[in-house]
Amino acid sequence: MLWFKRRHPNARPTHRLAQASLFASLSERELDTLQSFMHARQFLPGEVIFDEGEDGQALYIVLSGHVLICRHGGIKQPIAQLGIGEFFGELGLLDDWPRSAQAVAGQSTELAVLFRGDFERLMESHAQIASRIAMQLARYLGQRLRGMVGKTAVEAGE
Amino acid sequence: MNVSRHPYQAGPVVWAGIIASTCLVLFFFQKILWLVVPFVLALIIYYVLLPLKLRLVLQGISHDTAAGLVSAGAFSLLALTLVFGLPGLLAEAVGWQESAGRYLDGGLKLLTVTVGQLEGRFDMLAKAHVGDELARQVADFSGHFAQKYLPGIAMTLAAWAPSLFLAPFLAFFMLRDGWRFKKFLGRAVPNAFFERTLYLLDQVDRTARLYFLGLIELTLLDTFCLAVGLWLIGVSGALLLGLLTAVLAWVPYVGSILGCLLVVLVAATDFPGQPGVAYAAVALFVLVRLLDDFFFMPMTIGKSLNMHPLLTVLMIFVGGAVAGVPGLMLVLPVLGVAMVFGETIGQVVTDPRLQARHVHGKRLRQALVTRDLSL
Repeated sequence: MLWFKRRHPNARPTHRLAQASLFASLSERELDTLQSFMHARQFLPGEVIFDEGEDGQALYIVLSGHVLICRHGGIKQPIAQLGIGEFFGELGLLDDWPRSAQAVAGQSTELAVLFRGDFERLMESHAQIASRIAMQLARYLGQRLRGMVGKTAVEAGE
Repeated sequence: MNVSRHPYQAGPVVWAGIIASTCLVLFFFQKILWLVVPFVLALIIYYVLLPLKLRLVLQGISHDTAAGLVSAGAFSLLALTLVFGLPGLLAEAVGWQESAGRYLDGGLKLLTVTVGQLEGRFDMLAKAHVGDELARQVADFSGHFAQKYLPGIAMTLAAWAPSLFLAPFLAFFMLRDGWRFKKFLGRAVPNAFFERTLYLLDQVDRTARLYFLGLIELTLLDTFCLAVGLWLIGVSGALLLGLLTAVLAWVPYVGSILGCLLVVLVAATDFPGQPGVAYAAVALFVLVRLLDDFFFMPMTIGKSLNMHPLLTVLMIFVGGAVAGVPGLMLVLPVLGVAMVFGETIGQVVTDPRLQARHVHGKRLRQALVTRDLSL
């Protein structure tokens, strides 16, 4: 019976979560499973999603709108602007270290939220899905680290 | 805005609230015990079956179908066990009265022998005729036991049986709709408090899951240790006796005393005239209880309830005083959940930044819905 429910491996994913780079390696069925562990939130322009220094508990994925990442309350000069499919607050998935920046909705924004407790439960029940997400997350953090090291080297050279 | 990081510590007001709410909940639980007991059973079944359901979901089956399949499988197994096991159990039940009488006699003989020995050593006891008085009171109790207590016990069992059938139904709906309920609760929370509330829900779920699964693990460990010890001593029905005693230990203090009494009765009957075996059984029982308190409990239930030992003991007494035996059994999980609620609510209420963000969010919503209403 399950055989008939199988989708073609090359079929184009139609899932909303599929637009997130973090979940790029997940099949649609795995995304369905993951969705039951996630929460959807709507934010208005200017509404604070989380504050700098707050305990991090969750990772956020932008489903619509955009999010401004600011430091030291500098909402007029955001350090980053994140659009559809991008994610932030990823370190909140790993430990409860304080948030390194503030996140504010730039316009009407819909976010998918993966809470750390739910991610831990996902690791217990669906280790394969969780390990793929963790691998993507590790790649992303590696890229950021390399970027930072490169930037520091350039600055030191100057 | 940078929020300074001060680890939250619940103050005396929050702690008074936690203890008062625990007592209040226990008081109400005692009033609706017919609903609480099946709910707790359903919760245990839910936590045991949940991993199976999640496995099916990963195979591509919907949450509803997976919950249905897992429930149908588990409850069919239970029904089959009852269908095939009940006739045998009922056939054996005829012999239970005789066995109970035999074990009671064995216990009484041990008691008589022990008191006789004590009277031989202590003149004061001999002069007070403690042995005669004890024999008279026990004869009076056992003579009128059936007449006085059996109808009450039978009526209680008949009244409880229908409510226990609620447990499978509740477990099925928890499996099917539990994750939806959690999302539903999450949606009702304002954005500013969302992460804190999710943390609260997660901690409540984690506390309950670890407590009930820990209780099952603890019961299995107790059963194993007691069964092996009793088998080595040579007591009959070691496994059944170990299981019964471990289950009785779910009721703090009272359950342990009853369990010890049961072990002594069986040991005294199996080895009449050898009080040393009964004493060895008591020693074994005490040893397992010590292992339980110092090793097994911290490894199992202790993981879920991170609370001070003095508070634990005091709250067990308070639970017993407020709600009797059900209070003794339920006080620790209720206190664990009340602690999580109290500390989280205290943290949210006393955080001015979260309150300010909530007010700001409300203003933004108000401005959005009234922007075309101003003249």
